[in-house]
Amino acid sequence: MMLSVRDLRVSFRTDDGLVRAIDGVSFDLEGGEILGVVGESGSGKTVSLLAVMGLITDPNAVIEGSIRYKGRELVGLPARELRRLRGSEIAMIFQDPMTALTPVYTIGWQIAEQIRAHRKIGKAAALERVEELLAEVNFPNPREAMSRYPHQLSGGMRQRAVIAMALSCNPALLVADEPTTALDVTVQAGILDLVRKLRATHNSAVVFITHDMGVVSELADRVMVMYAGRIVERGSRAELFSDPLHPYTRALLGSIPPLSGEKPRRLPAIPGSPPSLLRLPPGCAFAPRCPVRYEPCDAARPALPGGNHAAACFRVAQA
Amino acid sequence: MSDEMEPDQTILETRGLGKRFSIGTRFSKEGRRVVHAVDNVSLAVRRGETLGLVGESGCGKSTLARCLVRLYDITDGRLLFDGNDITSQSLAELRPLRRRLQMVFQDPSASLNPRRRAGDLVAEPLRVHTRLGAAGIRGRVAELFELVGLLPDHVVRYPHEFSGGQRQRVGIARAIALNPDLVVLDEPVSALDVSVQAQIVNLLADLQEKLKLTYVFIAHDLSVVRQVSNRIAVMYLGSIVEEGPSEEVFSAPAHPYSQALISAVPLVETTPGGRRKRIILTGDVPSPLDPPAGCRFHPRCPVAQARCRVERPALIEHRAGRKVACHFPVADGSARP
Repeated sequence: MMLSVRDLRVSFRTDDGLVRAIDGVSFDLEGGEILGVVGESGSGKTVSLLAVMGLITDPNAVIEGSIRYKGRELVGLPARELRRLRGSEIAMIFQDPMTALTPVYTIGWQIAEQIRAHRKIGKAAALERVEELLAEVNFPNPREAMSRYPHQLSGGMRQRAVIAMALSCNPALLVADEPTTALDVTVQAGILDLVRKLRATHNSAVVFITHDMGVVSELADRVMVMYAGRIVERGSRAELFSDPLHPYTRALLGSIPPLSGEKPRRLPAIPGSPPSLLRLPPGCAFAPRCPVRYEPCDAARPALPGGNHAAACFRVAQA
Repeated sequence: MSDEMEPDQTILETRGLGKRFSIGTRFSKEGRRVVHAVDNVSLAVRRGETLGLVGESGCGKSTLARCLVRLYDITDGRLLFDGNDITSQSLAELRPLRRRLQMVFQDPSASLNPRRRAGDLVAEPLRVHTRLGAAGIRGRVAELFELVGLLPDHVVRYPHEFSGGQRQRVGIARAIALNPDLVVLDEPVSALDVSVQAQIVNLLADLQEKLKLTYVFIAHDLSVVRQVSNRIAVMYLGSIVEEGPSEEVFSAPAHPYSQALISAVPLVETTPGGRRKRIILTGDVPSPLDPPAGCRFHPRCPVAQARCRVERPALIEHRAGRKVACHFPVADGSARP
């Protein structure tokens, strides 16, 4: 097992009390697998992955549970050790590539620096590798692109440069947080192809965070749906999309307008909005918006049962 | 729409509309340069319909939207609202028209003043444009809040006390406060959570029916645009490349760009193996500062020919109700060779 997360809980101490951003998240990831994590803002999808990367530095954060990477426990690992892993073994891509690049150095310089930070390699050799990498992420003219500054590139090219940087040390695990959300669909299609190629050539495992069900369905092998800090459903792509179990997953899929065929007169919308983590309902967090809610839903939080395809829902457990 | 040929059905019309921005100063390296953000756009919006405007970032759709409500001064062509030429009317002359021509913006947390209560925000257009007294305004605000699905006690809240969806409802209430004829919606749902988008899309459809509104709906999410629009116009690099009834354009796009754009939308596939053929465009959208000669799409077009590199195609009707700006439009139904 490459990555094994058990009962991860992340809380933040705030003026308004303790906010539990992640509440008991467990999942496994094998090499060469693409895991899609779907959820809305505040569902905890980003925080859980930041925790895996050891990037939650807020002194008011409390992280509990276990994160094992290739059998090694990451929770509580000293910052130095973590830094050695990040960038070489585990790489991350963020939504906005501009925040991941420094505006005052060229693309080539930045990627070469990243390579030299993790490997004993000469400057010329590093730059050669940069050219290879930029060609790999489909820069039409990699040598020329190396001398460009981030502001001279388009959004799609910037994101490809960040991906090249992430790939520079052949990471075993790539964590991508909404990497295509800021991009146009035609550019997004190219980036998704790139992620698939990376898996095929390097056998890397990928965790892909998104709010777009369409992207997940095109890319992921397995899917995890999060709501208010918990996993509400998990399953293989085929299982989850052909037979969604959780009322939230079903409603979310139902509310996407179709791109072909009959146009519904009204969209089946989910009432209300996602709950504030400060004022979570006592029972199931989705209960106030749920179309099939009944008494048990308000009393206790449903647990996520084991198995490949499972949902945290009393109705599903009952059926 | 059978009566589409009647001239009085057109509420908003642009004739060769263009918007140029000059950038840089005479001291900058390249000197002063001109960007054609919107170039020669001729569109007619019919009363009661929703015209969807799609295209990638930087294609000029938001600039066009702002020109339509005269938030930008128009540099070329003409803009007609209800038969009146409003291309270069002064702000004072525009004022009576403003109440009939409104706009909803993408990010309600940026377009609503954070220091004013929701009730005040919605009352503002009423204070400016009507002679209603305090009680009348209060009554109308309550009515509007109910219309957009907000609770009566929400009037005292500040924008930050609302969820994203509720904030957009405030923005919509403000736009419809004066009973406008036409509302330009610039990405009204893209800043919202997925589970909330459908609510707002439904609300907009309800309001259109109740208040007989005409919409120009701009979004980059093609499935949302298809859901709300009767007709759509596809923009590329400042110009319209295709226009037609939305169902038809989505099922059989005639311009190679529309075809690639629609094919790139990731879809939830429940049947394995039922994957569509995807056209991946190479390269990026060229800079509008230095647009390519001939057809502006030719450097990325999978079927470009010699003629496309020199001669710019005009937007012409190639079939009833369908317009396309392409020398070699895709024949409907059949796949390209």
